[in-house]
Amino acid sequence: MSDINLELNKISKRFGGNQAVDHVSFSVTKPELIGMIGPNGAGKTTLTNVLSGMLKPSSGTIYLNGKRIDGHPAYDVTRAGLGRTFQITRALGRMTVMENMLVPGLALKPNARKSDLEERAHEILGLLTIEHLTYEYSRALSGGQRKLLELGRLLMLDPSVIILDEPFAGVHPRLQETIYQYIFRVHEDGKAIILISHDMGAVFELSQRLLVLHHGALIADGAPQTVKNDPAVIDAYLGHDEDDEHA
Amino acid sequence: MQLFRQFEAGIDRGIGRRRLGYVVLGLIILFFLWFPNDSSQSNYAKTVFISGFFYAIMSSSWALLAGIAGQFSFGHMAFMGIGAYVAGLVARDGFVFVMLGIAITPESFSALGAIIIGTLVAGLVGLVIGWLLLRLRAAYLALFTIAFSELFRIIMLTEYDYTGGSNGLSLRPLLQIADVDTARQVEYYLMFALLIVCLLVMHWVANSPIGLFLRAMREDEDAASALGVNVVRYKILIFVFTSMIVGLAGAIFYSDVGSERIIPEQLEVLQMSLIIAYAVIGGMESLIGAAAGAFISRYMLEAMREVVITLPFGLTTADGGDAFVWETGAWRFALFGVVMVFTLRYMRNGLLYPFITWFSSRDLAMKETVSKREDDDEDIAQPMEADDE
Repeated sequence: MSDINLELNKISKRFGGNQAVDHVSFSVTKPELIGMIGPNGAGKTTLTNVLSGMLKPSSGTIYLNGKRIDGHPAYDVTRAGLGRTFQITRALGRMTVMENMLVPGLALKPNARKSDLEERAHEILGLLTIEHLTYEYSRALSGGQRKLLELGRLLMLDPSVIILDEPFAGVHPRLQETIYQYIFRVHEDGKAIILISHDMGAVFELSQRLLVLHHGALIADGAPQTVKNDPAVIDAYLGHDEDDEHA
Repeated sequence: MQLFRQFEAGIDRGIGRRRLGYVVLGLIILFFLWFPNDSSQSNYAKTVFISGFFYAIMSSSWALLAGIAGQFSFGHMAFMGIGAYVAGLVARDGFVFVMLGIAITPESFSALGAIIIGTLVAGLVGLVIGWLLLRLRAAYLALFTIAFSELFRIIMLTEYDYTGGSNGLSLRPLLQIADVDTARQVEYYLMFALLIVCLLVMHWVANSPIGLFLRAMREDEDAASALGVNVVRYKILIFVFTSMIVGLAGAIFYSDVGSERIIPEQLEVLQMSLIIAYAVIGGMESLIGAAAGAFISRYMLEAMREVVITLPFGLTTADGGDAFVWETGAWRFALFGVVMVFTLRYMRNGLLYPFITWFSSRDLAMKETVSKREDDDEDIAQPMEADDE
C-alpha cells in the first residue's frame, strides 16, 4: 500500500481569464512537513481552497488517502481526512470556545458522547494554553488566541493532512512559540503538514521540503536549501532585471 | 443596586439561578393553565391569548430559522398560509389524481387529516425553497423569500374560484363543540398545548448537535463546512422543519380554533414584519424570548386599542366626562415601532435577553472567564492590541 496521503495531478483553477492555479502536481506522504511559499497572488490560497473543497478545480484530480476528492464539498474532504486553517481566522464568533471545539468533534463523530468530546477539547485547549477561555465567546478572543482556537479545532478533527495558512501572521511572539510547539507535536503524531507562510524564517526552520508557487504554477519542489538557491525561485522573489532581459 | 447584588448573591448561594428560572417558568405555565378557568375572564380575552400563542409559535420558529440558523427568511407567513390553505382545500375539494384517474373525495378527510396534509405540503414546499436558497445568503435570501411570499399571496388572491380570493377560505372546523364558552376554553388549551409542544421540540433541536451545527452555519458557512458540517443538509433540514411547524400552526389556528378563515391579507409582508419584530423585541436568538416577545406584543397591541386617561384635578372633557378615551388606531403600531427602534439600538439581543442570561447563569461563566483572561494576558495585553480586529 502506498504511503502517499495526498496526491495532486495537474490541478488547475481558472477564474475567467485569470489562471490562478496552473497544472500543479505534487504528492504528500506521512509524516512530511512541507512549506509552501510564493509571492502575493502566486495561487497559494486558491490551491488551498481547491484542496479543501471550497473551490472546484477547473481540471485535474486530487486523491486523499486513496479517495478521489476533487470537486467534493468541503465537509466531505474534511471527513476524508484533510483539515485546514484560514489565512484570516474564522472563529465562530457568537459561539463559545468550547462550542467551536465541539462542532468538528460532533460533525465527525455524531455518536460520540458529548462528555468525551468535552474532555478531549479541554485537553487540547490546555495544550494550546487557552483552556481558561473555554466558556468565553470566541469573538472576545484576540487575533492570536483565535489562531490557537483554529488549531485546536483541527485537532478535534484529527485529520491525516493539515494545511496551515499563515499561522504566524499577526501573532504575538509568545503565542507564536505555542504554535511552533503545536506544529512539532502534530508532526510527531505522524500527520502530514503543509505550512503556508510569508515568514521565511519559520518556513525554512520547520519545513523538510519546500514548494514554491509563482503565477499559479509550481516552480520548485525540493529540500529547502536546494530550493533557496534555485534560479527560478530567486527570479520569482526578486524579479527580472529588465536590462538583463534586453541584453 | 447594592440590594440587587445581595439578592443575587443570596440566590446563587441558595436555590441557584437556573433552578429559580425553572420555578418562574413553572409559575408562568401554571398561570396560563389557570387563566381560562377564571370566570371573570371574557371569551375575548381568551381569544387574544389564543392569538398570542399562535404568534408565539410563529416568532419562536422564525427565531430558530433566522436567529439560530441565520437564514433571514421572509417566507414564514407564506409557509403558514400553505399549511392552512392546503388543509382547507383538501377538506373541501379532496384530492384528484388526474393522471391516475383516482379521486379522493373530501369525505375521506377529517379536519385532522387535512391538517396533517397541510403540514406535510408546507414541509415539501420548504424542501424546494430550501434547495433553491442554497446559494443565497443575507439580502438575496431575504429578497427571494419576499418574492416567494408575495407570489403565493397573489395566487391565493387571484384564484378566487378555489381560494375565495380576498374573502378567504374557511377550513373544516377541528372541534365540534356547541357551547361557545366550552369551545373557547378547549381552543385555548389546544393552542397552548401546541405552543408548548412546538417550543419543546424546537428547544430540543436547538440544543442538540443539529442546533450547534446551525449556529456554526449562521456564523460562517464556509468555516462550518471546513469543520465537517454538511451545510446543504442542515440548511434544507431547518427550512423543512420550520415550514412544517408554521404549516401545522396555521392549519390548526385557522381550523376555527383561533380564526374561522384564512385570508390573503394575513400573508402580506407587513404581517411577516410583525412576526420578525416580535422576535427581535423578545430576542431572536432565544426561542423562549421570541415566544414571550410575540405574546406580550400581541397582548399589548390589543390592550392599547383604547387608552383611557383619567383626568386629574377634577378636570372634565368637553362632554362632561372625567376621562379621556383615546382610540389609538394605527398609533399603537407607531409606539410598537419606537420599542423596536429602541431594542435594535440599545438591546440587540432583545428586551428579555438580560433576564434569560441571568437565569441561565451565563453571565457568571462570562465574568469568571473574562477575569481569568485578564490575569493571564496582563503581560501581553498591549502588544496583542494590534492583533485584534
